[in-house]
Amino acid sequence: MSIISVSGLSKYFKVFKHHRGGLGAIRNLFSRQHSIVRAVDDISFEIEPGELVGYIGPNGAGKSTTIKMLTGLLVPTSGELLVNDLIPWKERQTYVARVGAVFGQRTTLWWDLPVIESLNLLQHIYKIPKENFEANLEEFHETLELGPFLDTPVRALSLGQRMRADLCAALLHNPDLLFLDEPTIGLDVVAKERIRQFIQKINHERNTTVILTTHDLSDVEKLCQRVMIIDQGKLLFDGELSRLKDKFGGQRELVVDFSEEYRTYEIAGATITAQTDLQVTYAFERGMITASELIGRLSAKYRIRDLEVREPEIEETVRRIYEERLLE
Amino acid sequence: MFQTINLYRRLIGVQIRSQMQYRFSFFMELAGTALITLLEYAALALVFARFETLKGWTLGQVAFLYGLAELSFGVMDLVFSGFDPGLFGWQVRRGRLDQLLLRPVNITLQVLGSEFMLRRIGKIVVGFAIFLAALSMNPIDWTPLKVLLTSLVVVSQVIFFGGLFMIGATITFWTVESIEVVNIFTYGGSYMISHPMHIFPDIIRRFFTFIIPAVFLNYYPALYILELPDPFDMPAFAPFLTPVAGAWMLALALAFWRFGIRHYQSTGT
Repeated sequence: MSIISVSGLSKYFKVFKHHRGGLGAIRNLFSRQHSIVRAVDDISFEIEPGELVGYIGPNGAGKSTTIKMLTGLLVPTSGELLVNDLIPWKERQTYVARVGAVFGQRTTLWWDLPVIESLNLLQHIYKIPKENFEANLEEFHETLELGPFLDTPVRALSLGQRMRADLCAALLHNPDLLFLDEPTIGLDVVAKERIRQFIQKINHERNTTVILTTHDLSDVEKLCQRVMIIDQGKLLFDGELSRLKDKFGGQRELVVDFSEEYRTYEIAGATITAQTDLQVTYAFERGMITASELIGRLSAKYRIRDLEVREPEIEETVRRIYEERLLE
Repeated sequence: MFQTINLYRRLIGVQIRSQMQYRFSFFMELAGTALITLLEYAALALVFARFETLKGWTLGQVAFLYGLAELSFGVMDLVFSGFDPGLFGWQVRRGRLDQLLLRPVNITLQVLGSEFMLRRIGKIVVGFAIFLAALSMNPIDWTPLKVLLTSLVVVSQVIFFGGLFMIGATITFWTVESIEVVNIFTYGGSYMISHPMHIFPDIIRRFFTFIIPAVFLNYYPALYILELPDPFDMPAFAPFLTPVAGAWMLALALAFWRFGIRHYQSTGT
């Protein structure tokens, strides 16, 4: 039984022509000239409970419009959308009680008050039973290391601390579903890693379904088994991350350290892309030759000291997908 | 119901504690608001020093209207701070409304609980002082009905202008350029009802009798309480239409607000 079931979901926006100047403001009131923007255009997918899905796409691709529909903030133009057996926008209050959301750029906490006061207030807003609230708070206090700043006003927190506080706030009511929008934006490497580990832990231990939108593809690479790519309102790819690489990863690389110098390092099935002293980098096509075949050929001809197979970076893969429109 | 009130109390408590973080600026704003209210009244009183009456009304009688209107508008401005059109429009643009919609609580309650501008107390205090001064200038023959009517006047004005605030806030879903127009009705309306209605041209008075029934909010109850004759020969129950006028505006505003929220959910920002 899917937790999220989406079929033929679309959201069109009317964009009215904007007239400028004083008279323009009056014309704007009456003008009906508009164009239709298909922010989300006929997308379908199912998400099972406990999945951790990366939802990616360039700016303006339709990511946030999709998330807004999934969280009940926007009513779809057409299509079916069922989450937790509810239609999000229709049964807003019942629905959002089982959902958590963190929008990286904005905090849901009360800006001028200590973190703990916001958390206490959320207990009443979500009607969280006292035992659950205390148990959760104790757990997150530990895993998110909230201790040092629990009594600090939110406005005085660092970005990383604020994100941890917001994650805690989004999970206190044990949601089945967690929406994370750019949860690592602007964080340093250590803070990013801490947030990622926490998300993974929640997903594993509580079986919370997580939908993650991000620009940082290393988030997706480290966290998600499944990835969905949207561009210009269309769902371009939906599947395992490894399949995305297999299909669109392009060239893989083999870096070889030779034991001695040779006149030439040429080998059939691969091209040399870099060479320094005894280290040579070969590029080879996926599907044309496997890494082990290539290594076999090389070791038959040369004496090798060390080697390393390099997979293409996910960044590179996704960039190629957007730029070359590989999926169309 | 009890839970709702309890939550509202907590939301307001948070707002009060937030503002108390900036104590100095709070007291400055409080004093500023009180001073402005007082100066406006002083300007009115000065007119009386020269002309003695305003189309037959003494300073004490006008002060009765003025005090009640200032007091009520101050209370409204405090309670409905979250719906202040300028502030609300800004909150919508920075995504604050989306965050409220992600919480499992009635959205109207949350907007009411999202702001509570304590500095309005300055206006309330001065308005109440003007009202007390008016009482000392008018020999009022108090009856239980008059006391009840006076409290109904305050409540009705609060919900009437609160309704106008909600309508103004809702309009910002479509356009933020029209806030000034809304201000004409709220601040302008409050200014108007703090004066005796018979000083205005007939067309304006009729508009505020039959279209937007503001005359029943202050003027007619004052006629009854101060035992002054009605120059327009309205039915004897006219003073008691106060709560009807208030409830009518609030009901209209709530309907429009719900419509606005639905519109917001279908277009976003």
